[in-house]
Amino acid sequence: MFAANNPSHRPSSRQGSYGAHRLSGQLPNAIRLRTPNMSDDGAMSNGSGNNSGEGGDTMGEEDPRAAEFREHFELTEARLMAALGDGKKASRRDGMDLGNDAPPETASAVEEPRPTITPRKPVRTIDEEDYGDDDEGDDDDEDRASPLFSKSAPNPGALTTLDPPSLKVPPLLTKQGIERISTPTSEQVKTSDDVRKKLQQDKKAEEDAARRSFHTLFYTLENDRDAMLEQQKLDELDRQVETEMSGQPVNTISSGAGAPVQQGTLSTTNLGASSLTLKHLIARIDAKRDMVHATDAQLRSLISEVRKNRSKWANEDRIGQEELYESMEKVLMELKATEHAHPFLQRVNKREAPDYYTVIKHPMDIGTMMKKLKQLQYKSKKEFVDDLMLIWSNCLKYNADPAHYLRKKALYMKKETEKLVPLIPDIVVRDRAEVEAEERRMRNGDVDIDGAEDSEDEEPIMASRGRKAPSKGGKGANPARKAPPAGLEGTPGPETKPTMPSLNNVVSNLKNEFLRTDSDLSMEGSLNGFSTPPPGTLTPVGPNGIFRSGAPGSQADVSEADGTGNSVSGLTLETEDADLDDLEYKTWKQITKKDRAIIAAERNRLFRGDHLNVEEPAILRSKAGMRRWLRHRKQALEEDTTEGTTSAPDGKDGVQGTSGETLAEGIEGEDERQVPDYYDIVSAIPDLVDRLKWVEDSENQVIDQAEEFMRMVPKGYFTSPESNLTKKMEANMRQMQDTRKICAKIGIVKQMQLQSQMYQNQFQKYDPRPFVEADIEPLVVSDDGPIMSPYVCRAALQRSVGKIFYHAGFEEFQPSALDAVTDIASNFFTQLVRTLGVYREAPKMKVEDTAENTVGAQATLRPRFTREETILHCLHENGVDLETLEGYVKEDVERLGTKLAAMHDRMKSHLAELLRPALDSSAGVDGAGAFNDGSEQFVGGDFAEDIDEDFFGFKELGLDKEFGLASLSVPLHLLQNRMHNAFQAQNTSNTSTTGVLLEQPPPYEPVTIRNVTSQIGLVQEWFRAKLHDNNNEPLLEDEDLPVKQRFPKPRLPPTGKISSPRKRPLREQQQMARKKRKLDEGKDDNPTNMNGSGAVNGNGLLKGLGKPVGKLKLEMPGHQKENQAIAEPEKDDGSAVGMISPESIGAV
Amino acid sequence: MADKMAKYRTEIQQMMFVSGETGEPSAETTTLIESIVQQQVQEMLRECTALATRRGSRSISTDDLMMLIRHDKAKISRLRHFLQWKDVRRSVKDNSDEKGGDATADIGAGDADLATGIVAGSGPAVETGKKAKRAKVDLVWDVQSFFNENVPARDDVEDEEEEEMNYATLQRLKNADERTKNMTREEYVHWSDCRQASFTFRKGKRFKEWAGFGIITDSKPNDDIIDILGFLTFEIVQTLTEEALKVKDAEDLYKKETGGEPQNRMKRKRESGLFDPPEEAREPVQPSHVQEAYRRLQRSNNKSRAMLNFSRNIHRSALKLI
Repeated sequence: MFAANNPSHRPSSRQGSYGAHRLSGQLPNAIRLRTPNMSDDGAMSNGSGNNSGEGGDTMGEEDPRAAEFREHFELTEARLMAALGDGKKASRRDGMDLGNDAPPETASAVEEPRPTITPRKPVRTIDEEDYGDDDEGDDDDEDRASPLFSKSAPNPGALTTLDPPSLKVPPLLTKQGIERISTPTSEQVKTSDDVRKKLQQDKKAEEDAARRSFHTLFYTLENDRDAMLEQQKLDELDRQVETEMSGQPVNTISSGAGAPVQQGTLSTTNLGASSLTLKHLIARIDAKRDMVHATDAQLRSLISEVRKNRSKWANEDRIGQEELYESMEKVLMELKATEHAHPFLQRVNKREAPDYYTVIKHPMDIGTMMKKLKQLQYKSKKEFVDDLMLIWSNCLKYNADPAHYLRKKALYMKKETEKLVPLIPDIVVRDRAEVEAEERRMRNGDVDIDGAEDSEDEEPIMASRGRKAPSKGGKGANPARKAPPAGLEGTPGPETKPTMPSLNNVVSNLKNEFLRTDSDLSMEGSLNGFSTPPPGTLTPVGPNGIFRSGAPGSQADVSEADGTGNSVSGLTLETEDADLDDLEYKTWKQITKKDRAIIAAERNRLFRGDHLNVEEPAILRSKAGMRRWLRHRKQALEEDTTEGTTSAPDGKDGVQGTSGETLAEGIEGEDERQVPDYYDIVSAIPDLVDRLKWVEDSENQVIDQAEEFMRMVPKGYFTSPESNLTKKMEANMRQMQDTRKICAKIGIVKQMQLQSQMYQNQFQKYDPRPFVEADIEPLVVSDDGPIMSPYVCRAALQRSVGKIFYHAGFEEFQPSALDAVTDIASNFFTQLVRTLGVYREAPKMKVEDTAENTVGAQATLRPRFTREETILHCLHENGVDLETLEGYVKEDVERLGTKLAAMHDRMKSHLAELLRPALDSSAGVDGAGAFNDGSEQFVGGDFAEDIDEDFFGFKELGLDKEFGLASLSVPLHLLQNRMHNAFQAQNTSNTSTTGVLLEQPPPYEPVTIRNVTSQIGLVQEWFRAKLHDNNNEPLLEDEDLPVKQRFPKPRLPPTGKISSPRKRPLREQQQMARKKRKLDEGKDDNPTNMNGSGAVNGNGLLKGLGKPVGKLKLEMPGHQKENQAIAEPEKDDGSAVGMISPESIGAV
Repeated sequence: MADKMAKYRTEIQQMMFVSGETGEPSAETTTLIESIVQQQVQEMLRECTALATRRGSRSISTDDLMMLIRHDKAKISRLRHFLQWKDVRRSVKDNSDEKGGDATADIGAGDADLATGIVAGSGPAVETGKKAKRAKVDLVWDVQSFFNENVPARDDVEDEEEEEMNYATLQRLKNADERTKNMTREEYVHWSDCRQASFTFRKGKRFKEWAGFGIITDSKPNDDIIDILGFLTFEIVQTLTEEALKVKDAEDLYKKETGGEPQNRMKRKRESGLFDPPEEAREPVQPSHVQEAYRRLQRSNNKSRAMLNFSRNIHRSALKLI
């Protein structure tokens, strides 16, 4: 009855039976339904084989041996193939053997496996892309396999004719009973099947296309909330259905369970897809049925256990249920998933619409349908479709207002439904018993026309079975007996309908529909142009009228409206309005609805209440997701490596690839999602850097990759960079330090000139050390980018500020000043950088490509400012310009350098003037060279004038004129011997004796008891006495004694006479000397000597030199030299007494 | 002197003449300029007092004044130049006093003269001045302040800085030379009279009163300070006049381009130059020009508000010293 491939025909034919089903209960329907089946049986077995039913069978009977032989051959071959490869090949081989490559569309007996596949195919292809190929292969197999069966019947080829009817006919029966109506309409049958397949393919292609396009578009999240809410509702619905279902155990399934043993052919059993692989076994068993000592039920259960991939709908006792229900469920799911399905999911609440149930007599909703589906209440596609249409028409009826939003939804849903309905195979679920009975009857009728005995055995069984499932079986059983006559006729009554009455049908439908749905609208009659007969009289048309007449309030009719009358009816406007979105977006919404809902729910969970819920479990990648991710990544890597260099990404040996994904593949396969990757939160997780990965080597030791990831902070990160400016500034600073050193010396000299007394610690040596910028300790970081350490950064800035301070002339500064300026500087730089950011991030400008005047001159985006402009702007904004900067460098750095150098020179020359003449350039390092030219300046001194001092009173005495002395001054270092000592105390390392002076002789060996004998005999006794006094301890040199115990040093006067005993203290000595002088007054050489010793021995005798000035006139240079010669060896410490250390002052 | 406010009308007129204004400025103009100058001087004194207080001293010093104008390098160098020559003159005066010479009769009058470097007419004094050791006026922030020892300067060191500061002076001299090139004897006398105009010279008491000494700062300022202020006031008037002339020129140019003013006639007369009477016909600057010039000179640069970027603080600019 689905023969019509013409869309205008289809609904009409459907309509007819549909109305019947809805309104008049099941009995008339059953009659109508069954009749074609029966007729098909006949048609199949006879017509398709171009034979009468008897002919076909007789053929089969004619050569049973040959058939058997052939079967044997086939079976063994199949086994061989199965052993070598898989069932696939075997079946292919079969197909080849048979030489059949007729197109699979020749819808035929072995359509049997197809319906089981077809509903599943789209599901699978959606879920698992990867298995697409396999699916294809399966299809191929089936397609190829099908000719084996299909051709067997219609083709007059030797093979098929040889096939025993027991094998072949039953499938034909079941299948064609459903699909074929009659021989004349077989063409149409084909095409209807065609249409279904095509629809499926279209759908699949559409989805694929949509999926591909998902990645080309960014979809926003705006619909996710709705999706999520709907999904929640759906889930709720499912649960509800589930609970209701669990209340009443599935009776239908159990109905067939206890079926008594029935010896039929196994191949009649609907074993689903796998029956194909088992077909030889089944055939074999069937062939040797009498040798198998097992009941049919046992065999069936055995086989069904072996079978795989059975869906939950599978029930061997209910033929066709699996395919039908799978497809129905799928359609229902799809409808549920559409965005407009929301209002139809549940029963209309009475509270929401109080008058609903007065208007709508037969409420229906998707939830109820789910329930019915699960309870296996649908017998056929028609029932299912009727229910669906009922929903929409209910809605349209109740919401009569054309502008009502629900109408749009309903119309949309209806359209969707119509798209999907062809996907459902037109199967009527029948009880096995029934079918078998039929089949048996057929056989009986065929093989031996009146074989009552044979049929007698089985009839009771069949009957008993039928009774066990009264609800279904009752329906099926009756026609089963009525059918054969119709089938034999080959021309069932209803089949005439499609040809002629179809038009009428349409018209009547339309009329009906308008009458019912739009009865409120007064103008409806004028709109459609048809006369609108009153409800009761509307159906003059054949069988339809009969059925419909009993249905006064049928809402169902409306559902057919747009199939045919879209263009005519006033509803067209609305239907077109129904979908506002473009197709792609719609597909997107539909396909991804569930996944989006899940994702949105996850998100919602985390962010509920507008804040991050910490306690919620984190969103994790599932295992499947991880595998998928790894796969993608691997692909990407491979692409990389193939196009780029061939270097391995890890570069490590022994690193195991993470290729273990294949093992677990498919376990969680259903996790695959439809949404593009960017939509999925989890796929937004950034890639791991290779080095951070947990990698194991071949011994499962974790490879520690931390070291590679660490890096040293480069040196000089916190020091000022090497640049010309830095160098210049540092040079300036060094210059300043040097100048300050000179300054300090000048200060000391000046101070010494002012002060008569010096103190040991009065003058601290000014010895600044050069500036060194300390860098941070070697530091290891694990990250790129600048080091974020405010403290260190601030310290570095502080140091720079300090440097600039120093450079600006501040030798010292207060920490608070430093802090303040550092703060200001950091503030300034922060603003500078912020300004930089503002200018850099200015919106880009569109720039016409004027260079190329081609047609496609496209506007390119260019940054608003070039880098140079950015910097200039930013400097300007902050009150700096290049002139200022340049001016600073020129004025405050370079010129300062020259000024400093000039100042340094001035200072130096000033100091030199102060210290002249001791610090001639010819004086050598320690000034000793000043003596080399035999100058008398140290004696006479020629800088008294500068100091403006007449220390010796030369001027007063007029000596300067008498002797022509150049100057009257005493050399400074002679005057300030103590300063020298102080200086020496400060830097002990700075020995002043270098160069010209003699080296210090080795120290004397201390005299001991043992080595006293080596002394000359004269002193031996004396030493012995000393040693004795000293308790035979070694004798100490005088110098080594502690200072207080030290004896005053013996002074040997120039006369060479030891004038005083050693033990006398110096003062006595001096007194003695004075006395002596008094005594020896008049002797000439004495004062000279005194003077000489004074000059050499420093302050010790300076005090003693109180008066003897008068005698100085006799002093002669020659003498001086002699005195020096004498005095030199006398000195104990060997230091250049009295000379200020040239380094201390002169070294500039 | 008619009204109480205008105490320096003639001086200002003379200064403006020296600065390039050929016409006779109106009383309003001079009054405006005078009030500007007064405001500037008072502001300077206030700032100086603040600086001195911060330094811990009650009386202001020349360093404070120099500190105020430290950013204007050219002005600083002119001021130093002025101070140097003042020293020179003083020593010359001392010498000639000893000599009892009469050549220095009006040396003191040459303040403004010297300020612009015109030393004409005082030939012998200059000669001695050149011989005399020219005291270098040191700035507090200069290099020698880095060190705690003062060393005698060397004579032979000729700063390039000095050359630079001469450059600005020379530029002005050149301009003055250009203007005086074609002057008759009488005109030149008038010119040189005008050059001696000063707010302070021989008007010390009036100036102190006018500038608010005793109110703003202590009433007994250093002579140097008065001299420096005299120099600076002259500079202010000069800068203002020059800027105002620029404004006026721009305005005239604009008017000429748009050509829509009744003074067309006069302008045309000025354009053709060959037989024109040189400068009399020019109309003097108006108060509006001065105001515009003042506005331009007060315009603050980005530097003063750089630290306020990205903050919502309103920049309150202090009075800018001209």
